[in-house]
Amino acid sequence: MRQLLSLLSCCLALPALASEGTRIQVTGEIIDTWCYYSGVMGPPDAVRGSGHHTCALWCSAGGIPVGLLAEDGTVYMVLKIGQDAQSAGGDTQLTLAAHTVTADGMLYERDGQNYIIVNDVVEDADITLRTHEDYGVVPPFAVPEDAR
Amino acid sequence: MLRPIAAGLLACASVAQADSPRPATLPFALGGAYSLTDQHGAHRSQADPQNHAQLLFFGYANCPGICSAAMPLMADVTDALAARDMAVTPVMITIDPARDTVDTMAAPLADLHPAFVGLTGDTAALQAAWRAFSVEHNLAYVDPEHGPVYSHGSLIYLLDGAGVVQTIIPPVLDAAAAAQIVLTYTAPNG
Repeated sequence: MRQLLSLLSCCLALPALASEGTRIQVTGEIIDTWCYYSGVMGPPDAVRGSGHHTCALWCSAGGIPVGLLAEDGTVYMVLKIGQDAQSAGGDTQLTLAAHTVTADGMLYERDGQNYIIVNDVVEDADITLRTHEDYGVVPPFAVPEDAR
Repeated sequence: MLRPIAAGLLACASVAQADSPRPATLPFALGGAYSLTDQHGAHRSQADPQNHAQLLFFGYANCPGICSAAMPLMADVTDALAARDMAVTPVMITIDPARDTVDTMAAPLADLHPAFVGLTGDTAALQAAWRAFSVEHNLAYVDPEHGPVYSHGSLIYLLDGAGVVQTIIPPVLDAAAAAQIVLTYTAPNG
Protein backbone atom coordinates (compact mmCIF):
# COMPACT_ATOMS: atom_id res chain seq x y z
CA MET A 1 0.00 0.00 0.00
CA ARG A 2 2.92 2.34 0.54
CA GLN A 3 3.37 3.01 -3.13
CA LEU A 4 -0.34 3.39 -3.71
CA LEU A 5 -0.74 5.82 -0.91
CA SER A 6 2.28 7.78 -1.97
CA LEU A 7 0.71 7.89 -5.36
CA LEU A 8 -2.60 8.89 -3.87
CA SER A 9 -1.02 11.73 -1.97
CA CYS A 10 0.77 12.76 -5.10
CA CYS A 11 -2.31 12.74 -7.24
CA LEU A 12 -4.68 14.38 -4.85
CA ALA A 13 -3.54 17.83 -5.80
CA LEU A 14 -4.18 17.40 -9.50
CA PRO A 15 -7.01 19.82 -10.31
CA ALA A 16 -7.92 18.14 -13.57
CA LEU A 17 -9.10 14.98 -11.91
CA ALA A 18 -12.83 14.48 -11.96
CA SER A 19 -13.12 13.05 -8.48
CA GLU A 20 -11.47 15.70 -6.39
CA GLY A 21 -11.23 15.25 -2.69
CA THR A 22 -12.42 17.60 -0.02
CA ARG A 23 -10.27 18.50 2.91
CA ILE A 24 -12.06 17.79 6.16
CA GLN A 25 -11.37 17.67 9.87
CA VAL A 26 -13.45 15.13 11.69
CA THR A 27 -13.61 13.77 15.24
CA GLY A 28 -14.57 10.21 15.98
CA GLU A 29 -13.50 6.75 17.01
CA ILE A 30 -11.15 4.49 15.08
CA ILE A 31 -13.27 1.37 14.64
CA ASP A 32 -12.94 -2.19 13.45
CA THR A 33 -15.10 -1.99 10.33
CA TRP A 34 -15.66 -5.73 10.07
CA CYS A 35 -17.21 -6.17 13.48
CA TYR A 36 -19.03 -2.85 13.26
CA TYR A 37 -20.76 -3.65 9.97
CA SER A 38 -21.21 -7.39 10.31
CA GLY A 39 -22.91 -7.37 13.68
CA VAL A 40 -21.67 -10.87 14.33
CA MET A 41 -19.91 -9.89 17.54
CA GLY A 42 -22.78 -7.86 18.88
CA PRO A 43 -24.60 -4.62 18.33
CA PRO A 44 -22.66 -1.60 17.12
CA ASP A 45 -22.32 -0.13 20.60
CA ALA A 46 -20.73 -3.35 21.86
CA VAL A 47 -18.01 -3.45 19.21
CA ARG A 48 -16.54 -0.10 20.03
CA GLY A 49 -14.39 1.30 22.78
CA SER A 50 -12.50 -0.48 25.51
CA GLY A 51 -14.51 -3.70 25.46
CA HIS A 52 -13.68 -4.37 21.84
CA HIS A 53 -10.14 -3.07 21.83
CA THR A 54 -8.40 -6.44 21.75
CA CYS A 55 -10.60 -7.78 18.98
CA ALA A 56 -10.02 -4.60 17.00
CA LEU A 57 -6.29 -5.22 17.22
CA TRP A 58 -6.70 -8.76 15.93
CA CYS A 59 -8.89 -7.63 13.06
CA SER A 60 -6.56 -4.83 12.05
CA ALA A 61 -3.56 -7.11 12.19
CA GLY A 62 -5.49 -9.58 10.04
CA GLY A 63 -6.12 -7.02 7.34
CA ILE A 64 -9.47 -5.46 8.19
CA PRO A 65 -9.45 -1.80 7.19
CA VAL A 66 -10.06 0.59 10.04
CA GLY A 67 -12.77 3.20 9.91
CA LEU A 68 -13.39 6.48 11.58
CA LEU A 69 -16.84 6.64 13.15
CA ALA A 70 -17.69 10.32 13.39
CA GLU A 71 -19.81 11.84 16.09
CA ASP A 72 -22.71 12.17 13.64
CA GLY A 73 -22.60 8.43 12.86
CA THR A 74 -20.85 8.71 9.51
CA VAL A 75 -18.26 6.02 8.87
CA TYR A 76 -15.16 7.02 6.93
CA MET A 77 -13.20 4.14 5.43
CA VAL A 78 -9.57 4.93 6.17
CA LEU A 79 -7.17 4.42 3.27
CA LYS A 80 -4.18 5.76 5.11
CA ILE A 81 -3.23 7.44 8.36
CA GLY A 82 -0.25 9.76 8.34
CA GLN A 83 2.89 8.10 7.15
CA ASP A 84 1.59 4.62 7.85
CA ALA A 85 1.18 3.10 4.45
CA GLN A 86 -1.51 0.56 5.26
CA SER A 87 -5.24 0.75 5.80
CA ALA A 88 -4.91 -1.99 8.40
CA GLY A 89 -2.27 -3.60 10.52
CA GLY A 90 0.19 -0.74 10.47
CA ASP A 91 1.73 0.57 13.65
CA THR A 92 -0.38 3.71 13.62
CA GLN A 93 -3.62 1.83 13.05
CA LEU A 94 -2.82 -0.55 15.88
CA THR A 95 -1.84 2.26 18.20
CA LEU A 96 -5.05 4.14 17.51
CA ALA A 97 -7.48 1.21 17.68
CA ALA A 98 -10.62 2.27 19.59
CA HIS A 99 -9.15 5.71 20.27
CA THR A 100 -11.16 8.87 19.80
CA VAL A 101 -9.21 11.13 17.49
CA THR A 102 -9.54 14.30 15.53
CA ALA A 103 -8.26 13.68 12.04
CA ASP A 104 -7.40 16.09 9.28
CA GLY A 105 -7.44 14.65 5.81
CA MET A 106 -8.90 14.36 2.35
CA LEU A 107 -12.37 12.97 1.85
CA TYR A 108 -13.37 11.08 -1.28
CA GLU A 109 -17.00 10.16 -1.77
CA ARG A 110 -17.47 7.29 -4.16
CA ASP A 111 -20.03 4.54 -4.66
CA GLY A 112 -21.90 5.67 -1.57
CA GLN A 113 -18.82 5.25 0.57
CA ASN A 114 -16.73 7.85 2.34
CA TYR A 115 -13.01 7.29 1.95
CA ILE A 116 -10.51 9.33 3.90
CA ILE A 117 -6.79 9.71 3.63
CA VAL A 118 -5.75 11.05 7.02
CA ASN A 119 -2.89 13.45 6.70
CA ASP A 120 -2.62 14.24 10.38
CA VAL A 121 -4.09 13.08 13.66
CA VAL A 122 -4.61 16.45 15.24
CA GLU A 123 -5.69 15.10 18.61
CA ASP A 124 -5.64 11.65 20.17
CA ALA A 125 -7.87 11.41 23.24
CA ASP A 126 -7.03 7.71 23.79
CA ILE A 127 -9.87 5.26 24.46
CA THR A 128 -12.75 7.28 25.79
CA LEU A 129 -15.62 4.85 25.43
CA ARG A 130 -15.52 2.46 28.41
CA THR A 131 -17.71 -0.23 26.92
CA HIS A 132 -16.08 -2.98 28.99
CA GLU A 133 -18.08 -1.72 31.95
CA ASP A 134 -21.30 -2.69 30.16
CA TYR A 135 -20.24 -5.52 27.87
CA GLY A 136 -17.00 -6.93 29.26
CA VAL A 137 -14.55 -8.12 26.62
CA VAL A 138 -16.29 -8.43 23.23
CA PRO A 139 -16.03 -11.18 22.18
CA PRO A 140 -14.76 -12.92 25.33
CA PHE A 141 -12.44 -15.18 23.32
CA ALA A 142 -10.58 -12.16 21.98
CA VAL A 143 -8.38 -12.57 25.03
CA PRO A 144 -6.84 -16.06 25.31
CA GLU A 145 -7.91 -17.96 28.41
CA ASP A 146 -4.42 -18.09 29.84
CA ALA A 147 -4.12 -14.33 29.57
CA ARG A 148 -7.36 -13.38 31.31
CA MET B 1 -11.60 -12.22 15.02
CA LEU B 2 -12.32 -13.35 11.50
CA ARG B 3 -12.10 -17.08 11.63
CA PRO B 4 -15.30 -17.71 13.57
CA ILE B 5 -17.29 -15.13 11.71
CA ALA B 6 -16.47 -15.40 8.06
CA ALA B 7 -19.71 -17.23 7.47
CA GLY B 8 -21.57 -14.31 8.89
CA LEU B 9 -20.63 -11.98 6.11
CA LEU B 10 -24.05 -12.00 4.54
CA ALA B 11 -25.45 -10.87 7.83
CA CYS B 12 -23.61 -7.60 7.51
CA ALA B 13 -25.64 -4.57 8.24
CA SER B 14 -26.46 -2.75 5.08
CA VAL B 15 -24.37 0.20 4.08
CA ALA B 16 -26.09 3.11 2.46
CA GLN B 17 -25.50 3.21 -1.25
CA ALA B 18 -25.78 6.24 -3.41
CA ASP B 19 -28.38 5.94 -6.13
CA SER B 20 -26.25 7.82 -8.56
CA PRO B 21 -25.05 7.51 -12.15
CA ARG B 22 -21.76 5.84 -12.97
CA PRO B 23 -19.02 7.67 -11.07
CA ALA B 24 -16.12 9.39 -12.68
CA THR B 25 -12.83 7.64 -13.12
CA LEU B 26 -10.74 7.02 -10.06
CA PRO B 27 -8.82 10.07 -8.92
CA PHE B 28 -5.59 8.13 -8.86
CA ALA B 29 -3.73 5.68 -11.07
CA LEU B 30 -4.23 2.06 -10.13
CA GLY B 31 -3.79 -1.25 -11.87
CA GLY B 32 -1.86 -2.40 -14.87
CA ALA B 33 -0.60 -5.37 -16.76
CA TYR B 34 0.34 -8.68 -15.20
CA SER B 35 1.21 -12.09 -16.53
CA LEU B 36 0.59 -14.97 -14.14
CA THR B 37 -0.45 -18.61 -13.96
CA ASP B 38 -3.81 -19.87 -12.72
CA GLN B 39 -4.56 -22.91 -10.57
CA HIS B 40 -4.87 -25.04 -13.70
CA GLY B 41 -1.47 -24.04 -15.05
CA ALA B 42 -2.86 -21.72 -17.70
CA HIS B 43 -1.51 -18.27 -18.41
CA ARG B 44 -3.70 -15.33 -17.48
CA SER B 45 -3.22 -11.63 -17.88
CA GLN B 46 -5.24 -8.73 -16.49
CA ALA B 47 -7.78 -9.25 -19.28
CA ASP B 48 -10.57 -11.73 -18.75
CA PRO B 49 -10.64 -14.28 -21.58
CA GLN B 50 -14.42 -13.97 -21.82
CA ASN B 51 -14.39 -10.22 -21.36
CA HIS B 52 -16.25 -10.49 -18.08
CA ALA B 53 -15.90 -7.92 -15.36
CA GLN B 54 -13.56 -9.08 -12.62
CA LEU B 55 -13.38 -8.83 -8.86
CA LEU B 56 -9.69 -8.82 -7.98
CA PHE B 57 -8.21 -9.37 -4.55
CA PHE B 58 -4.70 -9.93 -3.28
CA GLY B 59 -4.44 -12.57 -0.61
CA TYR B 60 -3.80 -16.25 -0.27
CA ALA B 61 -6.01 -19.24 -0.64
CA ASN B 62 -5.67 -20.52 2.91
CA CYS B 63 -5.57 -17.16 4.66
CA PRO B 64 -7.34 -17.09 8.03
CA GLY B 65 -7.36 -13.29 8.12
CA ILE B 66 -9.08 -10.81 5.86
CA CYS B 67 -9.16 -13.26 2.96
CA SER B 68 -11.59 -15.43 4.89
CA ALA B 69 -14.00 -12.53 4.73
CA ALA B 70 -13.17 -10.96 1.38
CA MET B 71 -13.04 -14.05 -0.78
CA PRO B 72 -16.37 -15.49 0.39
CA LEU B 73 -17.79 -12.03 -0.22
CA MET B 74 -16.46 -12.13 -3.77
CA ALA B 75 -18.09 -15.52 -4.25
CA ASP B 76 -21.39 -14.24 -2.94
CA VAL B 77 -21.24 -11.16 -5.15
CA THR B 78 -20.52 -13.40 -8.13
CA ASP B 79 -23.65 -15.41 -7.37
CA ALA B 80 -25.75 -12.33 -6.70
CA LEU B 81 -24.80 -10.88 -10.05
CA ALA B 82 -25.27 -14.17 -11.86
CA ALA B 83 -28.83 -14.14 -10.60
CA ARG B 84 -29.18 -10.89 -12.51
CA ASP B 85 -27.63 -12.40 -15.65
CA MET B 86 -24.33 -10.67 -15.17
CA ALA B 87 -21.13 -12.70 -15.23
CA VAL B 88 -18.16 -11.59 -13.18
CA THR B 89 -14.99 -13.50 -12.48
CA PRO B 90 -13.57 -13.55 -8.95
CA VAL B 91 -9.77 -13.46 -9.10
CA MET B 92 -7.20 -13.77 -6.35
CA ILE B 93 -3.54 -12.96 -6.86
CA THR B 94 -1.47 -14.60 -4.18
CA ILE B 95 0.79 -12.71 -1.85
CA ASP B 96 2.15 -16.00 -0.54
CA PRO B 97 3.53 -17.94 -3.51
CA ALA B 98 5.27 -20.37 -1.20
CA ARG B 99 1.87 -21.56 -0.02
CA ASP B 100 -0.19 -20.86 -3.14
CA THR B 101 1.12 -22.94 -6.01
CA VAL B 102 -0.60 -24.32 -9.08
CA ASP B 103 -0.95 -27.60 -7.21
CA THR B 104 -2.31 -26.24 -3.94
CA MET B 105 -4.67 -23.42 -4.90
CA ALA B 106 -7.35 -25.34 -6.76
CA ALA B 107 -9.04 -27.10 -3.86
CA PRO B 108 -9.54 -24.19 -1.47
CA LEU B 109 -10.63 -21.91 -4.28
CA ALA B 110 -13.11 -24.46 -5.59
CA ASP B 111 -14.57 -24.59 -2.11
CA LEU B 112 -15.22 -20.87 -2.34
CA HIS B 113 -16.70 -20.77 -5.84
CA PRO B 114 -16.24 -22.81 -9.01
CA ALA B 115 -15.46 -19.69 -10.98
CA PHE B 116 -12.73 -18.50 -8.64
CA VAL B 117 -9.42 -17.94 -10.39
CA GLY B 118 -6.23 -18.09 -8.35
CA LEU B 119 -3.06 -16.63 -9.79
CA THR B 120 0.52 -17.24 -8.85
CA GLY B 121 3.86 -16.94 -10.54
CA ASP B 122 7.51 -16.35 -10.03
CA THR B 123 8.74 -13.51 -7.88
CA ALA B 124 9.23 -11.07 -10.71
CA ALA B 125 5.80 -11.71 -12.21
CA LEU B 126 4.06 -11.35 -8.88
CA GLN B 127 5.98 -8.26 -7.96
CA ALA B 128 4.81 -6.66 -11.19
CA ALA B 129 1.21 -7.31 -10.19
CA TRP B 130 1.76 -6.15 -6.61
CA ARG B 131 3.40 -2.97 -7.87
CA ALA B 132 0.60 -2.27 -10.33
CA PHE B 133 -1.88 -2.26 -7.47
CA SER B 134 0.60 -0.99 -4.86
CA VAL B 135 -0.09 -3.99 -2.66
CA GLU B 136 2.33 -4.61 0.15
CA HIS B 137 2.31 -7.46 2.59
CA ASN B 138 4.06 -8.08 5.86
CA LEU B 139 4.18 -10.95 8.29
CA ALA B 140 1.67 -10.12 11.01
CA TYR B 141 2.07 -13.14 13.23
CA VAL B 142 2.49 -16.89 13.09
CA ASP B 143 -0.69 -18.78 13.88
CA PRO B 144 -0.04 -22.17 15.51
CA GLU B 145 -2.68 -23.74 13.28
CA HIS B 146 -2.38 -21.81 10.03
CA GLY B 147 1.25 -20.79 9.98
CA PRO B 148 2.34 -17.34 8.80
CA VAL B 149 -0.44 -14.76 8.69
CA TYR B 150 0.22 -11.75 6.53
CA SER B 151 -1.17 -8.28 6.79
CA HIS B 152 -1.78 -7.03 3.30
CA GLY B 153 -3.80 -4.64 1.21
CA SER B 154 -7.39 -5.78 1.49
CA LEU B 155 -9.41 -3.78 -1.00
CA ILE B 156 -11.34 -5.55 -3.72
CA TYR B 157 -10.79 -4.04 -7.15
CA LEU B 158 -13.47 -4.03 -9.81
CA LEU B 159 -11.87 -4.50 -13.22
CA ASP B 160 -13.59 -4.46 -16.56
CA GLY B 161 -13.07 -7.23 -19.08
CA ALA B 162 -9.91 -5.64 -20.36
CA GLY B 163 -8.47 -5.42 -16.89
CA VAL B 164 -8.90 -1.71 -16.32
CA VAL B 165 -9.71 -0.76 -12.74
CA GLN B 166 -13.18 0.74 -12.39
CA THR B 167 -13.41 1.25 -8.65
CA ILE B 168 -12.51 -0.15 -5.26
CA ILE B 169 -14.79 -2.08 -2.93
CA PRO B 170 -14.17 -2.31 0.83
CA PRO B 171 -14.09 -5.95 1.91
CA VAL B 172 -16.46 -5.29 4.80
CA LEU B 173 -19.58 -4.55 2.80
CA ASP B 174 -22.37 -7.07 2.55
CA ALA B 175 -22.82 -8.89 -0.74
CA ALA B 176 -25.88 -6.91 -1.81
CA ALA B 177 -24.10 -3.60 -1.33
CA ALA B 178 -20.99 -4.78 -3.12
CA ALA B 179 -23.06 -6.18 -5.99
CA GLN B 180 -24.86 -2.88 -6.31
CA ILE B 181 -21.53 -1.10 -6.71
CA VAL B 182 -20.57 -3.50 -9.48
CA LEU B 183 -23.87 -2.91 -11.24
CA THR B 184 -23.27 0.82 -11.12
CA TYR B 185 -20.31 0.28 -13.41
CA THR B 186 -21.69 -2.42 -15.60
CA ALA B 187 -25.42 -1.84 -16.07
CA PRO B 188 -26.25 -0.68 -19.59
CA ASN B 189 -27.43 2.69 -18.38
CA GLY B 190 -25.44 2.61 -15.17
